[in-house]
Amino acid sequence: MAEVAPILAARDVHRTYRFGQVEVPVLRGASISIAPGEWVAILGQSGSGKSTLMHLLGGLDRPDPGRGTIDFDGRAVNLGAGRSLDRYRNRDVGFVFQFYHLLPELSVLENACLPGLVGGWFGGARANAARRRAAELLDQAGLSHRLRHRPAELSGGERQRVAIARALVNGPRVLLADEPTGNLDATTGASILDLIAAQHAQGLTVAMVTHDTSVAARAQRVVRLRDGQVVED
Amino acid sequence: MYAALLSNRYLTSRVIPLIAVGAVALCVALVIIVVSVMSGFLDMLKASGRTLIGDVIVSGGVGGIPHYDEWLADLRALPEVEEATPVIDTLGLLRMPYPSGPSKEIAPVQVWAIEPASFARVTAYGDKVWWRPPANEAARDAMLHDDPRLLMDDSMLRDGLTLKQGATGKPGIVLGMHVSVGNARQSDGSYRPRFGWFMPGEEVTLTVVPVSETGKISEPRDATFPIVNEVFSGVYDVDKSRVFISLDQAQHLLRLDAAPLYDTTAEPDAEGNLPLLGTTPARVTKVLIRAKPGVPALAARDAVEASWDAFVAKASRRTDRLGRPPERVSILTWEQQLRDLIGPVEKEREMMRILFSIIYIVCAGLILSIFWSIVIEKTRDIGILRSVGASRLGILWIFLRYGLAIGVVGSLAGVGIAWVVVDNINLIHEAIGRDAPRAAWITTCAMSGMSVLMAVRALVWRGRLLPGLLWTIAAVTLGIVTLALVGHRGTLIWDPSVYYFSRIPSQVDWFNAAITVAGGIVFSVIGAAIPAAKAADVDPVEALRYG
Ligand SMILES: Nc1ncnc2c1ncn2[C@@H]1O[C@H](COP(=O)(O)OP(=O)(O)O)[C@@H](O)[C@H]1O
Ligand SMILES: [Mg+2]
Repeated sequence: MAEVAPILAARDVHRTYRFGQVEVPVLRGASISIAPGEWVAILGQSGSGKSTLMHLLGGLDRPDPGRGTIDFDGRAVNLGAGRSLDRYRNRDVGFVFQFYHLLPELSVLENACLPGLVGGWFGGARANAARRRAAELLDQAGLSHRLRHRPAELSGGERQRVAIARALVNGPRVLLADEPTGNLDATTGASILDLIAAQHAQGLTVAMVTHDTSVAARAQRVVRLRDGQVVED
Repeated sequence: MYAALLSNRYLTSRVIPLIAVGAVALCVALVIIVVSVMSGFLDMLKASGRTLIGDVIVSGGVGGIPHYDEWLADLRALPEVEEATPVIDTLGLLRMPYPSGPSKEIAPVQVWAIEPASFARVTAYGDKVWWRPPANEAARDAMLHDDPRLLMDDSMLRDGLTLKQGATGKPGIVLGMHVSVGNARQSDGSYRPRFGWFMPGEEVTLTVVPVSETGKISEPRDATFPIVNEVFSGVYDVDKSRVFISLDQAQHLLRLDAAPLYDTTAEPDAEGNLPLLGTTPARVTKVLIRAKPGVPALAARDAVEASWDAFVAKASRRTDRLGRPPERVSILTWEQQLRDLIGPVEKEREMMRILFSIIYIVCAGLILSIFWSIVIEKTRDIGILRSVGASRLGILWIFLRYGLAIGVVGSLAGVGIAWVVVDNINLIHEAIGRDAPRAAWITTCAMSGMSVLMAVRALVWRGRLLPGLLWTIAAVTLGIVTLALVGHRGTLIWDPSVYYFSRIPSQVDWFNAAITVAGGIVFSVIGAAIPAAKAADVDPVEALRYG
């Protein structure tokens, strides 16, 4: 694997939270390389910094200044201006959260095509393409009868499927999932993992955080986050 | 794109922002109504003010303008000038024909001596002579049945226009409508004689004081005139004190007519006559000019001023006594002349505009606080949008657009309200002027009773406090409205017999309305900008950490 150029990599990243005078170093030189088409599970105890690492990989947060880089497709994503990070989040990666995080005012379909609406000021071709792709993804997720419903009318598993459709609507090369089954019962969780697996089978790169070894077992490779560093299993 | 989707969704999915829309609408409506009515009054004031003064007013000193007929010929030849007319203005005392008995009332008056024909071509005098038969059937129908004008024939009007009593051939006088207290103004703006004191036909004695060109006062002189008509200009100060007589009468009374000039320092000859030195020319104190259609008053003023300078230069060669015109005369456009009249009203309007514009700040504050709580409520959603790639500017735009929508919808609604109110302001005013119709308060009373039932139902039956409270408020408000309606006795707020204009202006001032709408939108956006900036600063990781 090491010979293939990684699609997404964290190199020696540090992330320290500050509470007034007290500094809490959460990541202390964490490095991870994710090859194209790979499915990696990141295991770790609660509070070990898994979400922090995911936020860095997903461009939602930046490492401590000058202490580590996040490379996507060979380019450092966290060095540019905020605008380029916005674009990175929008096009290159898709994010799935433990708590689904759908917008309550929007319908299922609108939620799923949201990333397709970002970045363009006017409607037109891009928005239509996003709507078509969102409908397709929701169909694959078995939600074609729910397009007009509001998130509040869906079960947890259904909401997470919508969230996955949203993460994929712009055709990102990497899916980042932070405890995607953490809030679901085992059966529902398994079906969510099936959905991810189906996308992975079509070539999607997946990085998934979990604290559950049985969930991690679905991945091709498992790494652990311990003392602020990534160690291979 | 998503910003439009979300701000529309936020706007339509909650009730509280509608309060902001309503507040903006009310602010805008209030400002437009107040400014429109005041602008309307200002326009009426200007229009009335200019009716009797023409476009350009030239005022000479007490010595007057000699050889004015030569200058009038010059003026009439100017391409900017339609017509010019000579006027003498002076102060006088008028001995009124009332009350009965030997001691009569004396009214101080401002005398304008005019050449009626040319004066009517320069000013709207001809239209303002009040006592005349109705011009046509429509005008006849519009008059109340007891209007004395319905019984008049053209001779009354003709006498007013010529300043001559046709029946006797005597030179007459025309009084401003309120010089005599005998004219009682009606609520339709027309007049009825009071105490039987109908002025036309009565005789009055006018006393004036000739003033020499050096400012010396001579023996007062008086003359008796039959009142031939009355004139209504629309400016109370004018109608209260202005009287019109003919120019030759005034020139004679004030010794401003052409006269032989004797050498008073020489010894009289055998017949007691002083040696003749020459003649002094006739003089006037004012010249009023009407500009050609389409010529702005200021341009006409400049042309008149140039013509005056040429006239003065030409007259400098004159040797006759009092034959040289003064170097300087005041030459003003009608607007400049009316400054004292218009200025205070304009200032009042600006005061009103400023005072009422302060409520915009209240609107902006309202929008700010509503939006602030929405941004706090929506912090997680903002984090979600950031996580799917929305930029900070994009987030800012959601809320600015939301504020913009409230501003635009509210302002346009405000224009609509203002338009309906201003357009119907006389109807509304009349409705207030009457007792409330019984149906109105019976309806509100019934609605109040129903609200009580609904409140009881909500509170007792269903145990819900909020709807109960809302229905209670509705019941109390309707109850108060009912009491107010029952107690309402017609009060004319704007009594045309007291105030001078018979109708409240009902034209929306669209230029000011546009400014007001722009203000409403700008303040809404300002109110939205502060929470919007807070939204743009939301840290997505913080916002998304917990479910
Ligand atoms: N924004 C933050 N400010 C302060 N401390 C934080 C912040 N985010 C995370 N932490 C702390 O960092 C540690 C790692 O958090 P997190 O990455 O969420 O762990 P995990 O996802 O593995 O449970 C925790 O101790 C948490 O309290
Ligand atoms: Mg976590």
